[in-house]
Amino acid sequence: MSSIRVNPNPLSDLLSALAEVQQQVNTAAEQLASGRRINRPSDDPAGAALVGEILDQSSRVDSFHQSGGTILGQLQIADSTLSSVVTALQRAIALGVQGANGTLSDTNRQAVREELGGIQQQLISLANTSYQGRFIFAGTANTQPYVADSTLTSGVRYDGNNASNQVQIGEQYLSQVNLPGSQLFSSPSADVFQAITDLTNALTANSGIDTAVAKVRSTFDFVTSQRVFYGNAISQIQAQQTSLNNEKVSLSSQENAVAGADPAKVISSLVQDQTARQATLQAIGRVPQYSLFDFLK
Amino acid sequence: MGTLTSTLSIALSALTSEKGAMDATANNVANVNTPGYSRIRPVLAENDPVVLAPLTFGTGVSLAKLESLRDPILQLRIGQEMQSQGELGAFVTAMQQVEVNFQSSSGDLGTKITQFFNSLNQLSTDPVDLSLRQAVLTAAQNLASGFRNTSANLIGQRSNLDLNVVQDVQQVNTLTGQIAQLNGQITNLENLQQDATTFIDKRDVLIQQLSSLVDVASIKSSNGLTLTTSNGTALVAGEQNFLLSTQADPSGVQHVFANGADLTAKLSSGALAGTIAVRDRNIPGLLSQLDSLAAGLVTAVNSVHHAGFDLNGNRGGDFFNTPPAGGQGAAAAITLAITDSRLVAASSDGSPGSNGNILQLAALHDQPLVAGQTANRFYGSMVFTAGSDVANGSSDLDASQLILQKLQDQRGSVSGVSLDEEAANMILFQRAYDASARIVQTVSEMLDTVIQMGAS
Repeated sequence: MSSIRVNPNPLSDLLSALAEVQQQVNTAAEQLASGRRINRPSDDPAGAALVGEILDQSSRVDSFHQSGGTILGQLQIADSTLSSVVTALQRAIALGVQGANGTLSDTNRQAVREELGGIQQQLISLANTSYQGRFIFAGTANTQPYVADSTLTSGVRYDGNNASNQVQIGEQYLSQVNLPGSQLFSSPSADVFQAITDLTNALTANSGIDTAVAKVRSTFDFVTSQRVFYGNAISQIQAQQTSLNNEKVSLSSQENAVAGADPAKVISSLVQDQTARQATLQAIGRVPQYSLFDFLK
Repeated sequence: MGTLTSTLSIALSALTSEKGAMDATANNVANVNTPGYSRIRPVLAENDPVVLAPLTFGTGVSLAKLESLRDPILQLRIGQEMQSQGELGAFVTAMQQVEVNFQSSSGDLGTKITQFFNSLNQLSTDPVDLSLRQAVLTAAQNLASGFRNTSANLIGQRSNLDLNVVQDVQQVNTLTGQIAQLNGQITNLENLQQDATTFIDKRDVLIQQLSSLVDVASIKSSNGLTLTTSNGTALVAGEQNFLLSTQADPSGVQHVFANGADLTAKLSSGALAGTIAVRDRNIPGLLSQLDSLAAGLVTAVNSVHHAGFDLNGNRGGDFFNTPPAGGQGAAAAITLAITDSRLVAASSDGSPGSNGNILQLAALHDQPLVAGQTANRFYGSMVFTAGSDVANGSSDLDASQLILQKLQDQRGSVSGVSLDEEAANMILFQRAYDASARIVQTVSEMLDTVIQMGAS
């Protein structure tokens, strides 16, 4: 006969159920609006910390990409400058060979010497090439590397230094970005300016021209071999840029996997929550409607 | 016996009792929505019989008492759960504000650390470029202000909590005052053998409110109820309440005192304990991590910066101003030591175009600077700490809410007013009343008959 007495006022139960469902609806709505599952650290503390790390990496990748782009421009300028240097040296060799021909008249030899002087000026100008206001063959000095100096046998003084810079273009990936002029143009074993001056002097004296031409040829070989550095650096950086792009994509999909909301899942749970909410509301609407009092006459 | 007047008095006792029972029903119905109300049940008892040997006559009914249906143990459990809910609620609310500082966004401290290192990386591509140098200083400014803002926010939130502590203590004092007063009334009524249920209900509500603020233990004694905190500090004894007070310590943080003793660290649950935990443990913990991060970063950057050369060819000086000794307050104090971008020591050999030292500075991104972790990873652990504090607190709070809900349900099943039940009782009492009235009427007719008998 006796049964367990139950709480006669279920309203507070229902209201707290309603509040809970409402909370879930709000969460789902927030996830849909932001497209993200983690909107604050407490949504998934470990995930939030991980997202921070991924964003850090992703931002670093952007920065490496930007650095790579900047130095790529500089390397390409350097490479095309060296190409002009090589052309000029080729012309100097041709002129030397021409001058070595004994049948050349004094006037013509004079003309050859003048052209060699022009080539020397061109070489100095090329060696003083700047990119975005900075001399790219001055080592790490911030000064015009080559100036005319008649006190020196080559007639050209190097004001730069022998250092070079590296730039980070990836995690644990440093790339050397320049060769100093002292290594490219005026190394003791292959001094471009000295070789041209010597050739000019040999033509003036009309002796030792072959030796002088051989010397220019050896500087030509040397500069050509140094160009390989730039070619390699350019292709390395281009490859690295591609791999950075890929890494960026992969990081962004990682980030999405950790923090992104799955819209299909969110919507289906939102629909469920709404149904639950409706049912609870209906229950609340009905519960207090009738008691025995209603049936008493 | 067998007189008509005795029959009349039996009927009369029934009329009075049933009306009293009906009053109880009316009161229950009236208080169906009153929070803390415990339903009352009329207890009807047979009157002592009169023995006229060999017969025993009943003498009617009386309303023995109006019994208030309550379960003190349940009430106690509800109080306890209110305490832990109060604590968790205060904790989660406070930590949710703290957590905002560590929300991942474009402006959070972690991003600013990354951007600082990125600006160094950019400068390494052209160390003489003044705009890139300026960009490094700007990123460093942002980083420094990020540290200062986060630190200021945390400190601001802590002083808001301080205000909460003061308000909570005032609230506790108000409640204990009211409880002490009710204690007096209850004791007086009980001493007079009178019904004190109304006051007990009111007191229960107040004790629940008090429980949501502090950890309350109650002891019932001859002079009423004694309330103490769980570590034994008296709050209410009989008609007297003992005021808590707040007093700022030298650092300006409000401590809670009872009778000269510092209770601050001894409160184990209730909103006050939750608030104090965030104020004295969680926020200071995060602040000290923030300080370690700032100090670690500043020290490492400065030490590398000293090894380089600026654009003028001079040795690098401090990049950031030196943090306070011991690192405490480092985050709040972090400022740039240089404003001239030429003074960024990018060069490793003194030549202006060298970027060797910038590479060293940029490499700090991957080096353990704080507690064996990189700056970014250490910051990540702070994000985790703040997030998991809120997440754990919230799930505990949900659990506690569920328990409390069940307990309230249980309380409702004992003490809650059921309108169906009251309607049924009403019918019972009404019928009994009607019947007794009919008896009175019948006795009256019988008396008439007797009187007529004498007249004829």
